[in-house]
Amino acid sequence: MAKSAIKLDGIVRDFYDGKSLRRVLQKTQLEFYTQELTIIAGSSGSGKTTLLTIMGLVLKPSEGKIFIDGQEVTDYSEDQLATLRMQKFGFVFQQAALIPALTVLENILISGSIQGASVPSSRKKSALKMLEDFGLQNYTDAKPQQLSVGQQQRVAIVRALINDPVLLLCDEPTSALDAESSTLVLDTLKRLSQDEKRGVVLVTHDPRVFPYADRLIKIEDGTVTSDTKSNF
Amino acid sequence: MRRLTALRLLLHDRSTTAGAILGVVAIVFLVGQQLAVLFGLLSYMTVLLDHSGADIWITSKNTDNINAIGTLPVRYINRIIGLPDIAWAEPMASGGGSVKRPDGEYQPVQVVGLARPRLTGGPWRFNQGSLEVLLDYDGLTLDQMDLNNLGNPKVNDILEVSDKKIRVSGITQRIRGFQGTLVFTNFQKAREITKLHPSRCSAILVKVKPGASVESVLAKIRIILPQAEATATPVLAQNTRRYYMVSTGIGSSFGFSTMIGAVVGIVIITLTMYTNVLNRLKDFAVLRALGARRRDILVVVLFQSLYISIVGILIGFLLLALFLSAVRDSRLPTHMFMWVPPLHAVLTILLSVAGSFLAMRKAMSVEPASAFR
Repeated sequence: MAKSAIKLDGIVRDFYDGKSLRRVLQKTQLEFYTQELTIIAGSSGSGKTTLLTIMGLVLKPSEGKIFIDGQEVTDYSEDQLATLRMQKFGFVFQQAALIPALTVLENILISGSIQGASVPSSRKKSALKMLEDFGLQNYTDAKPQQLSVGQQQRVAIVRALINDPVLLLCDEPTSALDAESSTLVLDTLKRLSQDEKRGVVLVTHDPRVFPYADRLIKIEDGTVTSDTKSNF
Repeated sequence: MRRLTALRLLLHDRSTTAGAILGVVAIVFLVGQQLAVLFGLLSYMTVLLDHSGADIWITSKNTDNINAIGTLPVRYINRIIGLPDIAWAEPMASGGGSVKRPDGEYQPVQVVGLARPRLTGGPWRFNQGSLEVLLDYDGLTLDQMDLNNLGNPKVNDILEVSDKKIRVSGITQRIRGFQGTLVFTNFQKAREITKLHPSRCSAILVKVKPGASVESVLAKIRIILPQAEATATPVLAQNTRRYYMVSTGIGSSFGFSTMIGAVVGIVIITLTMYTNVLNRLKDFAVLRALGARRRDILVVVLFQSLYISIVGILIGFLLLALFLSAVRDSRLPTHMFMWVPPLHAVLTILLSVAGSFLAMRKAMSVEPASAFR
């Protein structure tokens, strides 16, 4: 059964652009659930990435509250938010954003160990299993530069999954991919979103991705203009 | 994973890493080389004191530098030899001389004359011969390093030193004084060469009996010989070094050169580490987005600095050791105390970390939101 992964209550975000304070996200009330693939769609500069980064506890809202598992986390310290981010969320960036100095396996394992904890053997086994599931078992010791863009994005998805997050947050994950790779990645994300313990939120400006959505949120000039369960 | 990440980032950016290592090598080598030459010079300054075997030196009044002493009556020995705690007291002669080379040119030398048969204060390292060669009235030792300058004489050759004929009876090894070439002979011959009055000597060397207090013997000698200067050997050595370090330009010159070496190294480290971090800002932003705290990023950069320090220190000390080995038998004075390399290594690590400060600050300032741009 789906449950609430994160609740945004009256979230606002202002940016100081050097001259004045500019409101990039208007007052927003949203809740995201597991077992659901939510697409946040909008044109460039609409505020969709800002919304995603606030959800991911990367940016603090200027106003409003954030609740995770019923607990308000808005005023958590920077370190607490970092730890919560590591535990609860998985990020898939626009261009994979793998660390070129690390191998594929190390890129995955660093996700749960960057705060200094040692890597348990179970996590390593889990990473290797997931790489196999994604057809990347032969690339564990390869550097990201040796993989295709599509393969790198799949590694990024494994990295996002390794801590068993409640919510997968994807920032335009297919924008740098060809059609075949895009389809592969989207199919994967859709499959992952069916897990009752996990939700997927995907930010995009590409309408071709909309059919994958269980829920479609449209945002324009920092304002949510529609929030509908998709009938696609 | 933080330490592994630090290492991987260094290996990935080889050119900047090599630059940073070079900075550390510069600190180790340049500073180490300056220190070695300074310590070598310091050891030259007090070479006669360090190897005299005496506990006390009696010299002319107000002596604070063993290389600039007057003369005093030899009969002073008679006044103190009866003290119960004195094992022996021997005169020493020291002064300038000139060696006539085969080409007719003259080479200045410092002549040291030792009382027979004890020959206390005599040369301690021989290439040919031994201390006993100085029992010969006409015997003289030259050092291996100076043979070239003196016309390459061999053992048993006759040399003219300040118009006195003297036979080369031994060749010492790496024995040098602060004022240059040191030659040893017996006390009487040295007085002839240096034209020291027969009733006088340059210093009286005193050995205290085992178990006796040097301080108490000193006190007694000072009462008996108020017109002379009685000083414990280590104190006179310290006074000599202090004189040269403070009253001449040696201390400030070496201090400045050493500081320059350290500054050069720190600047190289600062620039290369900062460049290293600038090249990796996106990676640090991604790590922050994945859950790294600012202090986790600090740990990564700190370990980068430590790894660079360790490699740089190893290479730097290897180069320094090769340098010291290469100049060991040359005229360049060098000496390294055992306690210096570990202290130097620790200071180098601290300087390296200090040089990485700007890089650490930059890395820690990266915001996770920049990973999304």
